[in-house]
Amino acid sequence: MGTDRYAYCSRLRQVDPVAKTVLSISAGAVCLLCGGLAPGLGTLLVMGILTTVWGKIPGRVFVRFLGIPITFLLLGCVTIAVGIYDGNTGGVWGLSLGSQVLGVTPTSVHQALCVIAKSLGVISAVYFLTLNTPMTDLTGGLRRMHVPMLLIELMELIYRFIFVLTETAGKIRTAQDSRLGYQGVFRSLSSLGTLSSMVFLRAWKKADNVYAALESRGYTGTLLTVSEEYRPGKLCYGLIPLVWGTQMLCLLLEGKVFG
Amino acid sequence: MGKYAIETRDLEYRYEDGTKALDGVNFCAEVGKITGILGANGAGKSTLFLNLNGVLTPASGQVTLNGEAVRYNRQGIAQLRKEVGIVFQDPDNQLFSADVYRDISFGPVNLGLSTQEVRRRVEWAMEQTGVTHLRDKPTHALSYGQKKRVAIAGVLAMEPKVIILDEPTAGLDPQGVSSVMHLLSDIRDRMGISIVIATHDMDIVPLYCDYAYLLSEGKVQAQGTPEELFARPEILRGNHLRLPRIAHLMEILREEDGLSTQAGIATIAQARKEIKNMLQEH
Repeated sequence: MGTDRYAYCSRLRQVDPVAKTVLSISAGAVCLLCGGLAPGLGTLLVMGILTTVWGKIPGRVFVRFLGIPITFLLLGCVTIAVGIYDGNTGGVWGLSLGSQVLGVTPTSVHQALCVIAKSLGVISAVYFLTLNTPMTDLTGGLRRMHVPMLLIELMELIYRFIFVLTETAGKIRTAQDSRLGYQGVFRSLSSLGTLSSMVFLRAWKKADNVYAALESRGYTGTLLTVSEEYRPGKLCYGLIPLVWGTQMLCLLLEGKVFG
Repeated sequence: MGKYAIETRDLEYRYEDGTKALDGVNFCAEVGKITGILGANGAGKSTLFLNLNGVLTPASGQVTLNGEAVRYNRQGIAQLRKEVGIVFQDPDNQLFSADVYRDISFGPVNLGLSTQEVRRRVEWAMEQTGVTHLRDKPTHALSYGQKKRVAIAGVLAMEPKVIILDEPTAGLDPQGVSSVMHLLSDIRDRMGISIVIATHDMDIVPLYCDYAYLLSEGKVQAQGTPEELFARPEILRGNHLRLPRIAHLMEILREEDGLSTQAGIATIAQARKEIKNMLQEH
């Protein structure tokens, strides 16, 4: 399910998650700050190469995951590009409505493209982290970065029990379906309602059982564990200047071209 | 260390609504043996276990660990949980982490051990339970039997004196049952850990249990070696249980067909010997 499946096979799986997080965040942050078309695409390129070549995540997987937010992005950017402009605006093109024009201008298109590029850059930086780091390592890394314990423990438990509850919901659904519970809109809705309440009740009961099991292993309020030893992430830190350098270069080039 | 790893005397426990879940239970688990607790659903097995590990506090009576009465203060309970580990029936309730290694490390970390010692114990427990090759897998990608082994590893890593297992064979395929039961015999023999299993899988009792208790309605109805218990089929049947299949066959041979088989025979090996003897006598 999701990015985790690939993260367990990544070549960077054993690398210190803190190093990967720092690289991902610094690349994303600079990409956001730079703005512009070229820095976004540059970040996308660099982080894509790092993920696919260094992390050995198949390229088509990376592209497929980029495709997930692209619909939202395009929809969002249409509203940036298209607007109602005064008929005298330079280069305006579109549907004429009296003295106004419903359409696009070169500036608005450029702005929309910049937003798309910037978003893809940041997304690729995040994907570098999520496609190369299993969730449990990520929360372990967050702990070392002094994120509050309560938050981390909630994340860990929620992550683990997503799978348990999905399985439960799946089983209930199959049981309902096998007795024709999903024929017709009305019956489907009613079955879905029962399913939701059942999952809620089971989760409630499960929480009790999990708590007893934790207590029997000496739980006293903190879910402390030891993770496998990681490879030090020196290379990750070393790559940060390189990524920044590329982003700056892109910014400069763009300045020259559009200057 | 005395003869018994863990004992209870006149143990009583009530649910919040006042119904008695345990009613004067006297139970002993001998050191280095597998003790079975037989009982139908709702007999009070799980409640007894949670009392043995200090998750529940008895209303009256006593739990004795290595000859010493358990004190229900923080230290006493911590000590009890260190010495007595529970493997719950559904491994999904026990494995709270999505990472196998980190889940196994949870108990040892709670014992306050150094990181180095925690790592040593996790490696050791994974090796003993044969799950080392699963270390890089997320918990949700494991099969039911693999999860069960990881749950056992998580308890074994605490190096307890007693391991309690609630229905260890439920939900496993036949080979999974044998392999888990072999693992438990192995833990008993090589590490001298006392094992308590609750089960209603009657066929494993004569094969793996050294002693057994019959629990019903919160009371011990009978106890003895498996042979002794299976010589009294009426008491098993009166409590929603049955004889092991082989013992049942021997009972039919004795009562319906008039053969002089001994009562209490419950395994294939015993039955084979008995039948060969009878054939040779004729």
